[in-house]
Amino acid sequence: MTSMQRRAFVKGAALGALAFTVGGSQVLLTPGEARAVGVPFRLLQAHEAETIEALGETLLPGARQAGIAHFIDQQLSVPAEEALLEARIMNVRPPYANFYRAAIAAADRASKAMHGREFAELNAIEQRDFVNLMRQNKIDGWQGPGAGFVYFLLRSDAVDVVYGTVEGYQALGIPYMPHIAPERRW
Amino acid sequence: MATHEKVDVAIVGAGASGSVYAAVLAKAGKKVVLLESGPDWQLTDLISSDFWGRRIKPASGPFLLEGKNPFGYVYQAGWGVGGAALHYFANFPRLLPNDFKIKSEHGRALDWPISYDDVAPYYDRVAGDIGVSGDAKAEEIWRPAGKPYPMPPMKTFRHGEIWLKGFEAVGIRMVPAAVGMNSAEFKGRRACIYDGWCHVGCPIGALANPVVTYLADARKAGAEVRPRATVTRVLTNPQGTKITGIEYYDEKKERHVQEASVVVLAAWSAQNPRLLLNSATDRHPKGLANSSGLVGKYMMAHFSSGTWAMFDEDIQNHMGTTGAQFMSYDRYGKTSQPGTFGSSFITAGSAMKTSDLGGLANARVDLFGADLHAFMQRAARGLTRIGAFGEELPNIENRIELVSDKDEFGMPLAKIVHSYDQDAIALWNANFEEGLKIAKAAGAKESWSGRGNMPTIHLMGGTIMGTAADNSVVNSYGQSHELPNLYVAGPGIFATAGASNPTYTIFALSLRGAEHLAEKWSTVAG
Repeated sequence: MTSMQRRAFVKGAALGALAFTVGGSQVLLTPGEARAVGVPFRLLQAHEAETIEALGETLLPGARQAGIAHFIDQQLSVPAEEALLEARIMNVRPPYANFYRAAIAAADRASKAMHGREFAELNAIEQRDFVNLMRQNKIDGWQGPGAGFVYFLLRSDAVDVVYGTVEGYQALGIPYMPHIAPERRW
Repeated sequence: MATHEKVDVAIVGAGASGSVYAAVLAKAGKKVVLLESGPDWQLTDLISSDFWGRRIKPASGPFLLEGKNPFGYVYQAGWGVGGAALHYFANFPRLLPNDFKIKSEHGRALDWPISYDDVAPYYDRVAGDIGVSGDAKAEEIWRPAGKPYPMPPMKTFRHGEIWLKGFEAVGIRMVPAAVGMNSAEFKGRRACIYDGWCHVGCPIGALANPVVTYLADARKAGAEVRPRATVTRVLTNPQGTKITGIEYYDEKKERHVQEASVVVLAAWSAQNPRLLLNSATDRHPKGLANSSGLVGKYMMAHFSSGTWAMFDEDIQNHMGTTGAQFMSYDRYGKTSQPGTFGSSFITAGSAMKTSDLGGLANARVDLFGADLHAFMQRAARGLTRIGAFGEELPNIENRIELVSDKDEFGMPLAKIVHSYDQDAIALWNANFEEGLKIAKAAGAKESWSGRGNMPTIHLMGGTIMGTAADNSVVNSYGQSHELPNLYVAGPGIFATAGASNPTYTIFALSLRGAEHLAEKWSTVAG
């Protein structure tokens, strides 16, 4: 896809969902739909996606089903200037995949040091307590992007997919009131 | 390399300040080209969504962030036509007379080479050009009289009104906020419909962004906008006495030279110094317009002390505009807050959405899991906030410097070094304390300070104005002291920051500078 074609496609996608590849063709789906139909990840390894889902679900229950891993994966696969991630406006330097990979690795290392298991393998209470320490930058030996910053950005991603959508507004009883609506309820 | 036919004026950046220069000079019959590094956004690109709205901001940038309070710039920066003013909140407070003479009156900071009276007529004219809603008469308790705003104040909503009792209790007078938005149809542009999506760009033209105001005027008068053109150097003649044009790269990374009689640097406050420093020659070894060594120095920011409050009733916090409903200069005196120094500008009544930096979820960043869900349910009905912008004084240690790493065009990156001093920190804290008193007096069920990392908002300085080349980079019109056919526009030329949102002043100073250039054209460009 040339840059012009990509831009035209993205412009179309801006009116709808994100572009996912299904059966060799690009289709527009919400991240939740992409997860439901099992769209393969473009960049994330299975374990990375699993960890993002586990962190996302701990930060905001519902983020897994809303497709947080598919959202981040799709966003990491497009040029940085087309990315919609909160990382973009928080001065993270592209490529954003570097940040997410470093964050996942840091969480797993710290989790292993603390519990002998990677984060996704912890039970829900352990995950909650671990995230609470991340929030406060209180994990000894944490190596990578600041734990509090990782908490903030992944929390923002979770809020985006759960509450940043038209469905999210409906869940809170807030009228969405768009000038130019994102179609397909995204 | 392509060399383009010489134009009268090459303007670097198609945001607020560049658009004003383009409109004035194109209308004066000059051949004008605007070079914009980002896309040529259309109103139809402005999707009502927090995360789609991030596309109109840069994907990082060529700046490294250092200091105790690194300047987090992307959220508020622009990328593409309209610049940061494509997604600004359009709060239009002015600077006040006490901003221009701090050195003379307090023996601190710097004086501007002009006074409020020099700028005031341009505030009034900008209001007439692009539309401002507010109550100018009500503002006269703090500033000299001027012309009425062309439109009455905006509609107000309960999430703003609910604070008024609290402000009154602590002796702060609130008046309708002056905003660059249409409370009524204005010059063919629609009235605001109060849906609160200003911060991701207003596609109906009710908010005075450059695309529907000065840039539209400039295009109509024949100015050319060249998007995806990244300027890397300002060029001079061999003698180093005159600017001859600019070097830029297009989307395909091909090099171009655009010759011009006059160059106006109207990029971001950090980018203008980066360009000047990167344009060093044998004749200007420290960079252009930099014999004083002040290019890139005196970077300044605003900081905000936000107070959150939860009320029991449904206060419709999704309604209105991202800008303020009410404002006050009652803490604008430089010593208003005991034991501190600097102005504060107070606002109330911003519409809120669910996500993004200013959304409901970030009112309590400590909450996660089921607690966050529960908070969101309550916040959707009863959450509101007030803010107090604080003034940072100019400090020569807050600066822009080139570094050895380079960007995709081979241009050195720059670092922004920024730390707040004790005055700023004390003022930030004092405004938090007063915010909690206001919330309590307003009857809030819960209230808390929006503390976290001390924010850096509205980057200013770096190419400050002054009386001569030994104390500043440009004169009061933005004209270089050393290279008369080089102008710098935007908040970079502010000598001090005040506490008011800067865009109204950017428009006013740009109008003043552009008209000066048009008037003196033969001597400047000759």
